[in-house]
Amino acid sequence: MATVEIQGMTKRYGKITAVDDMTLSLGDGEFFVVLGPSGAGKTTTLKSVAGLVDIDDGEVKIGGRTMTQLEPYHRNVAMAFESYALYPQKTVFENLASPLKSGRTGNYSAQDQKQRIDLVTTTLGINPLLKRFPRELSNGQRQRVALGRVLVREADVYLLDEPLSHLDAKLRAAMRAELKQLGEMSSTTSLYVTHDYQEALSLGDRIAVLHHGKVVQVGTPEQIWREPQNAFVAKELGQPEINLIDAEVVEGRIRQAGGGIEFDVPRDVDLGRGGRVRLGIRPSDLELVTADSRSGAEWLRVRGAVHLAERLGRNVELAVHVGDAEVIVLTSSEHAAREGESVELQVRLREVHLFAAAEDDDHCVRIGAAAPRERELTTTTTKAATPSDSEQGGRRA
Amino acid sequence: MAELMPGRKRVTPGAIAADVLVLVWFVFSLFPILWMVLLALKTSAEQTSTYFVFTPTLENFGTVVSQRGTDLTSVDFTRALLNSILNCGGAVIVSLVVGIPAAYAAGRWKYRGSEDLMFQMLSFRFAPELMVIVPLFVIYNQVGLFDSTFGQIWVLQLVSMPLVVWILRSYFQDLSPELEQAALLDGYTRKRAFVMVALPLVRPGIAAAALLAFIFAWNNYVFPLILTDSAATPVTVAVTKFLGGGGQAYYNLTAAAALIGALPPLVLALTIQRYLVRGLSFGAVKA
Repeated sequence: MATVEIQGMTKRYGKITAVDDMTLSLGDGEFFVVLGPSGAGKTTTLKSVAGLVDIDDGEVKIGGRTMTQLEPYHRNVAMAFESYALYPQKTVFENLASPLKSGRTGNYSAQDQKQRIDLVTTTLGINPLLKRFPRELSNGQRQRVALGRVLVREADVYLLDEPLSHLDAKLRAAMRAELKQLGEMSSTTSLYVTHDYQEALSLGDRIAVLHHGKVVQVGTPEQIWREPQNAFVAKELGQPEINLIDAEVVEGRIRQAGGGIEFDVPRDVDLGRGGRVRLGIRPSDLELVTADSRSGAEWLRVRGAVHLAERLGRNVELAVHVGDAEVIVLTSSEHAAREGESVELQVRLREVHLFAAAEDDDHCVRIGAAAPRERELTTTTTKAATPSDSEQGGRRA
Repeated sequence: MAELMPGRKRVTPGAIAADVLVLVWFVFSLFPILWMVLLALKTSAEQTSTYFVFTPTLENFGTVVSQRGTDLTSVDFTRALLNSILNCGGAVIVSLVVGIPAAYAAGRWKYRGSEDLMFQMLSFRFAPELMVIVPLFVIYNQVGLFDSTFGQIWVLQLVSMPLVVWILRSYFQDLSPELEQAALLDGYTRKRAFVMVALPLVRPGIAAAALLAFIFAWNNYVFPLILTDSAATPVTVAVTKFLGGGGQAYYNLTAAAALIGALPPLVLALTIQRYLVRGLSFGAVKA
């Protein structure tokens, strides 16, 4: 158990910068998730903390101790690899005993070793597999063994590299729930890396969103979900992706290009003298207007025509033409509209995100919402992710 | 063509012609070996005959093995056999002890010039041995390595080392480095991670590389021909002594000696045959 400080960490592979000036601070016992698309530098981050790759700049501190020049076997960290990295020539039992036998993770008698392995395999439900070799296991079982090799020992930090990525959807959901309940996980500082936003939201005490090796935003799951720093973060979270719609600011009104969506500039947002913005609306925040729909000033209504309806069991995904844009709506199947039908949609104004208009998503910084919220959460952003001043124009302090 | 359609064999003129060609090639390539076996079973009186039907005798093998450098030729054949085993065994051991760590390093770490270094090592195999034999002869004479077992081991590892390093490097490259990284995080040093994790996993590669290196060293002729005289002479050179060299040529004894000389690598190859095919593919295909 220890804190982890990552300060200005940079790792380059030739011309590619895998991790770019990363600064993160993990509290003692915190479960911290790093979320990002593939190639964002997630694995490099973990391996840098573990000491498996030499960083080019910055430093890593574990428990206040600088790790620079310290070999991995002196850092007292445990890691579950995405590839599992189970020793193929050893049985499950021997794999799990390996960290206990090295003498560097503490001294364990044969009796202690057996007890610890028993405990961990019972928790993970892999007790009957102890005599098997990794090649005789399914991916789900291998993943549990890899996790077991981490949990079987005491460590200052657990590093978990996409431990659920190779599992099928059902097993993944089940393991996600299990992971959350593991006592060892909740008491040991953990750095967990994933590309799956649901894992990040459900497991993380805090989340850092990574893009091209840079930290874009750090915050609690609620902060990240409700106040994405920019359009990239907004798109990373949620399936189907958030709808991004171009709009113009004209005479105190925000109007979608091509018409359709139109509302007043919210009073707490300063958009300066007109210009362009981007609206972000999550598909799950949109609903079809029916006879018994709630209504009022807090709701924004727009008309559109359904051109595609995709049934996904309990939900239906509708692609609706609104003005020039195609808007995805996630709605329950009982209210579903048919293709070609004309519909009215509504969304709470405070759930309509306003982003600055920019070429790429990274620079579409969030300005605010279309209506003031009861409380805005304060999001911590890092220096690296702060956009240039001009783009920051209307952003509240 | 037949293999493309499982369950149904098509007999086409092309397929028959291909089979016949394979058979012809087979006979052509094996005929010299057959001839050698027949020759080894003939008496001295029949050694230049070309017929296939005769009364075979094992007498030649006895004569060859009993050569003590006094009677027919200057050869001590059992000594030569022992020399071959010592020279080649020594060369293989040196190649493994130095070559395995070298292959591991070459497979794991890239640095400026690492590829050039590997290629340079392989280039020993490109250069004709005759090109370097004269300077080697002079050096060996002056340093006192001429006709010594140590000198033979030294020169034969030039043949076997590149083989070992190149074969094993590809084996190590096929291994995920994350296995050793996992061992590092389990609390083991880099050396222990190598011995505990990587080494056991390339055992088939080591067996194949060692065998190939042994065969290449065993079959080498030019180096011992020039660099030995009698004390360290291996079987390849000893065999040719039966051809006389001025005196009478014993073709039947030469054939018998060659057959005996071919036995040890053959036995070795058969015992570790299952590793051999993988080894010959240079670890290119993952198991």
